[in-house]
Amino acid sequence: MKKEKKPNESLHHITFSLNGKRVSCSIKASTLLLDLIRDTFELKGTKPGCYEGECGACTVLINDAPVNSCLFLAVNANGKNITTIEGLLQHDGSLHPVQESLVASGAVQCGFCSSGMAMTIKALTHQHESVPHLTGAIKKALPSREEIKKYLEGNLCRCTGYVKIIDAAEKLFALDIEKNEKGI
Amino acid sequence: MEFNIVNPKTKSELLRAIRKETTFRFGAGCTDLLMELKKKPVENLVVINLSFVVDSRFTGLKKLAKSFWLGAMTTAHTMVMNEQIKNDFNVLYESAHNLASTQIRQVATMGGNLCTASPSGDIACALMALDASCHLLNDAGVNSVVNIHDFFLGVRKTILKKNEVLYGLTIPTNKKQTKTVYSKFIKIGTRRSMECSVVSLAYHIQVNEEGVIIGAGIAIGASAPTVRSALSASGFLIGKNIHLITEKEKEELACKIVSYAEPITDLRATAWYRKEVLLNISKSIFE
Ligand SMILES: Cc1cc2nc3c(=O)[nH]c(=O)nc-3n(C[C@H](O)[C@H](O)[C@H](O)COP(=O)(O)OP(=O)(O)OC[C@H]3O[C@@H](n4cnc5c(N)ncnc54)[C@H](O)[C@@H]3O)c2cc1C
Ligand code: FES
Ligand code: FES
Repeated sequence: MKKEKKPNESLHHITFSLNGKRVSCSIKASTLLLDLIRDTFELKGTKPGCYEGECGACTVLINDAPVNSCLFLAVNANGKNITTIEGLLQHDGSLHPVQESLVASGAVQCGFCSSGMAMTIKALTHQHESVPHLTGAIKKALPSREEIKKYLEGNLCRCTGYVKIIDAAEKLFALDIEKNEKGI
Repeated sequence: MEFNIVNPKTKSELLRAIRKETTFRFGAGCTDLLMELKKKPVENLVVINLSFVVDSRFTGLKKLAKSFWLGAMTTAHTMVMNEQIKNDFNVLYESAHNLASTQIRQVATMGGNLCTASPSGDIACALMALDASCHLLNDAGVNSVVNIHDFFLGVRKTILKKNEVLYGLTIPTNKKQTKTVYSKFIKIGTRRSMECSVVSLAYHIQVNEEGVIIGAGIAIGASAPTVRSALSASGFLIGKNIHLITEKEKEELACKIVSYAEPITDLRATAWYRKEVLLNISKSIFE
């Protein structure tokens, strides 16, 4: 009798929040978060670049922290809040301020890196939001140009030369200072 | 890449999984593991996923009476954010801060950095300069402690037995008489970010009020099959006054450090280059 080969991978059931919506699915143990997002949930804004953690095109936020979804097991998304570029869409259908700033600074050329860049910059805004909004303390807590560069070190761009991307992030934070100073 | 996964949620479930599985690997942040399995898949592999184990000793940081506890699952990001690490063990802060990228630091763990036993493991190199002690746990729940100097056996080889997991480690607190600490991680790569070290040097030197060196740990990375401690260089410094160190002594110190290097030539750099760089950065310790 022919011996039937047992499938090596059993399925795992996971539940998590995807862009604010509770979702569930059954996945193989080795499924990468990047493939789950793109293939199962058909959200194609998260880009597959190198699949090696080098380029950052696949960056998503997990509980507000930026992570390479190509090196993250989907199983570990269980119970977490995942935000992809699609999750930045505002209620009225407009772009998120991070995206607006990238566009306004001319920081998008071919666009392949842009969703990853936007997610990493978004993560940096979370860090500064978590600082108590005390006058005087705010400016200090805002990232310097050097800090922005350091934060974006895991995002590669083949087109822009980075200057405009860093400008975009800087302008975004400068806007925040203005708002805070005016008490908006 | 195919494997199965088990997700223990407690320490006892973890130990049970180690006892039960035969062909298994631990998965922490999985940044090394996934890259390795993609290149070299293992048949019938089970990944024992450490990410869901709830145990503050395994995942957390804690100040103890004479040491600082670092759980194996502490991420590079957590280390960067910790005030005490930044203040007392700058070499560790710098190694974590310059590891890979923002995204990888969120998930890459101290345990993974040590257990992967890469010759260029940055956190491992810093922890060696800090003379850390590794706390192991076996499948019977028995703890044992081994000094980090005895932890690495070769490229990708550690002292860990198959039924053992690294649970955490302790870093000795700086000495009471310490007034100033020279604590630094120097990483030379071909670019500033996202780069495995071509050569690295970690040092943690404690100096008392008079300027006398009362504690010294020096380690090198990417220069030998494992990260290595330059013990004779550390010994050479003890008792010397930093204000009186001569150029000749600095030179001698650098030569002692380089004597521990057995670099190879690979696509990143030649062995000659690695030694030259190590010599030059070693001379800069008190600058
Ligand atoms: C793009 C990129 C850049 C990188 N840059 C750097 C760098 O600059 N510097 C650097 O040092 N490293 C770098 N690395 C390597 C890697 O990210 C680090 O070594 C990281 O600390 C590994 O941690 P992890 O939690 O992801 O380990 P994992 O991949 O989960 O595990 C690594 C190994 O350790 C074992 N293991 C994990 N935890 C335990 C435990 N508690 N007990 C026993 N065994 C265990 C696993 O079974 C596996 O064999 C880089 C990797 C990538 C992909
Ligand atoms: S695709 Fe994930 S980092 Fe390049
Ligand atoms: S805009 Fe083309 S890669 Fe960045």
